[in-house]
Amino acid sequence: MKKFTIISIILVMAVALIVYARTLGEEESPNKVGTAEEKKEILKASWNEVLSQAKGKKVNIYMWGGDESTNRYIDEWVAPRIMKKLEIKLNRVPVKDINDTINKLLTEKQVGKDTGSIDIMWINGENFLTAKQNNLLWGSFSSKLPNANKYIDLQSPAIKNDFGEPTNGLEAPWSQAQFVFTYDKAKVLDPPKSAEELKAWVKQNPGKFTYPAPPDFTGSAFIRNILYETTGGYKQYERPISEQTQLEEKMKPLWAYLNEIKPYLWRKGETYPESSSKLDKLYADGAVWMTMSYDPSHAANEVNNGNFPKSTRTFVLEKGTLSNTSYLTIPFNSPNKAAAMAVINFMQSPTAQIAKADPSIWGAMMVIDPTKLNSKQKEKYNEINRGESSLPVKELMNHRVPEIPAEYVDFIEKGWKEYVAKE
Amino acid sequence: MKRRINLSYYLITFILVCFIAIPLIPLVIFSFSYGWKWPDLFPDQISLDAWAYVFDFGSKTWNSIMTSLKIAVTVTLINLFLALPAANILGRMDFKGKWLLEGLFYAPIIVPAFVSVMGIHMTFIQMGITDTLLGVILAHIIPTLPYMIRALVISYNTIGYIWEEQGKVLGASSFQCFFYIILPFILPGIIAGCSLSILVSLNQYIITFLIGGGQVMTLPLVMFPFISGGDPVIGSVLSLVFMIMAGGALLVMDVLLKKYYVRNVTLHFS
Repeated sequence: MKKFTIISIILVMAVALIVYARTLGEEESPNKVGTAEEKKEILKASWNEVLSQAKGKKVNIYMWGGDESTNRYIDEWVAPRIMKKLEIKLNRVPVKDINDTINKLLTEKQVGKDTGSIDIMWINGENFLTAKQNNLLWGSFSSKLPNANKYIDLQSPAIKNDFGEPTNGLEAPWSQAQFVFTYDKAKVLDPPKSAEELKAWVKQNPGKFTYPAPPDFTGSAFIRNILYETTGGYKQYERPISEQTQLEEKMKPLWAYLNEIKPYLWRKGETYPESSSKLDKLYADGAVWMTMSYDPSHAANEVNNGNFPKSTRTFVLEKGTLSNTSYLTIPFNSPNKAAAMAVINFMQSPTAQIAKADPSIWGAMMVIDPTKLNSKQKEKYNEINRGESSLPVKELMNHRVPEIPAEYVDFIEKGWKEYVAKE
Repeated sequence: MKRRINLSYYLITFILVCFIAIPLIPLVIFSFSYGWKWPDLFPDQISLDAWAYVFDFGSKTWNSIMTSLKIAVTVTLINLFLALPAANILGRMDFKGKWLLEGLFYAPIIVPAFVSVMGIHMTFIQMGITDTLLGVILAHIIPTLPYMIRALVISYNTIGYIWEEQGKVLGASSFQCFFYIILPFILPGIIAGCSLSILVSLNQYIITFLIGGGQVMTLPLVMFPFISGGDPVIGSVLSLVFMIMAGGALLVMDVLLKKYYVRNVTLHFS
């Protein structure tokens, strides 16, 4: 009898737990919409049909979540407007590294899960390459978006190719970035204009320069920029890596350059900052006199935050600094593809792009072609005060070079470890 | 003699407090200051911006704290339920192959949890419980259960069977034996096990992200983008919030269990 009571208590508890767990599970289950065939139809549908299908849906956008202004732009500027205009609820999911999201999709693809939770991802470069090679992306939707057709120069090589890889419309251009050097005007009177001049400056000012160690994104970009400078431009790297002969030989001037400045770096080059935010901290503390960023308005934002001194300025190299386009894309198993398209189209609109370019909101460069704006929009765009620390957009546009194909990036980072860090 | 013990007691406490508290001081100051530069000893201006951001972005922080706690508490209850019978046997019985069984139970401590979770991820997708709270709770059991079992095994080790047999001789049912004899003995172990289980669950990032897929937002998921290369000031605010949350959860649990102990257990002893 007593044993029976104990057993029944245990059973009741177990059942209660399972029921409780079930309710927890249901609460967050994603909304299931449409079959695979229906989803393919969306690409053929008219834009009005897409919009009507999009109404009332919830769209999950997965993006790097470590920057307050970016997060605020999505949460406070984009989301309420999308709710009002398109009746779509936009939910931002912050991730540490979008690569984690790609891995999630890889597993889902492998198992054949065709209703996922990601509707939009913000990616480019290596992550796009991985996603494309593994068929993780939905389809060629970019050219279906009205705003993309109207305002974006889809044929320009910098937009058509993502780190040298043809996008084939699998991703829609959203933002642009360009590498800039940041310096303190009060300490650096005449900023260098080439890698050679930078070398001379570093030697004259020992301990006042360094760069983040790759695979940090910014540090890796710095090395690629020096590669272009020391080996004669970017054109030779437009070919696939498999067609390169004697690439090792070709890289030698780069390693020689980096080894030559090494003893004059911060802490004599015995160690490097592990991330660009660590380098920024060194700059803010006055330990080094230059820092760098792949976001041309980063310095202005840091001045506004009070992190960087007011005399902070930025410069680009005479022969150009790296620039890239980043994109919004829809994974193969997004449950709300029509709604995702509607959201992306809105994010490419002139109002959204101009707001994005405003440093008081975020300050990321527009992907739309300023010449395609109407006069009112142009006026609004020209009114944006980018701050004294940022270079004018024209100056940036005249000094930019395209990114290297993604497969080189890994090769260069490995080479740096072997020849420069000598680990 | 007594005086000397007191002195060394205070000295050790002081050193420990220094070790724990001193690294926290810059974190607190940092969370209030954009632009705290070397060589300033203190920031020249105090700013609440980061705190304001953390607590006003569409209540994401609050929701993630609640989700974190919900998961940690549920996981701990399930663990307790699973670990009690297991520890009972492992702690008090000897049988062939016990070492193997123990090894299996403790394996998740040694094998990184995300290794097994990678495989489980596929099964969970087929079962349709990825991107749900249920899936995350089940996945959190993997890294937390061994700690619970370990803590309870040690408690059970010390009891043996004599007290229970004594109770039975005096006519207590198995139920009464458990509640009035075993439970008071193993309560310290339960507290230790629950604390570890809660802490380890609260700390999970990779497992939560893999199984929860960003749909189950816990505090570490909100925090990680900021502390790994993101805005360091917001990162320090979120770190402090995390510490307060974890500390608070432990404190509440400790107080509740001790209250239970005093009310229900000591009475019967006196």
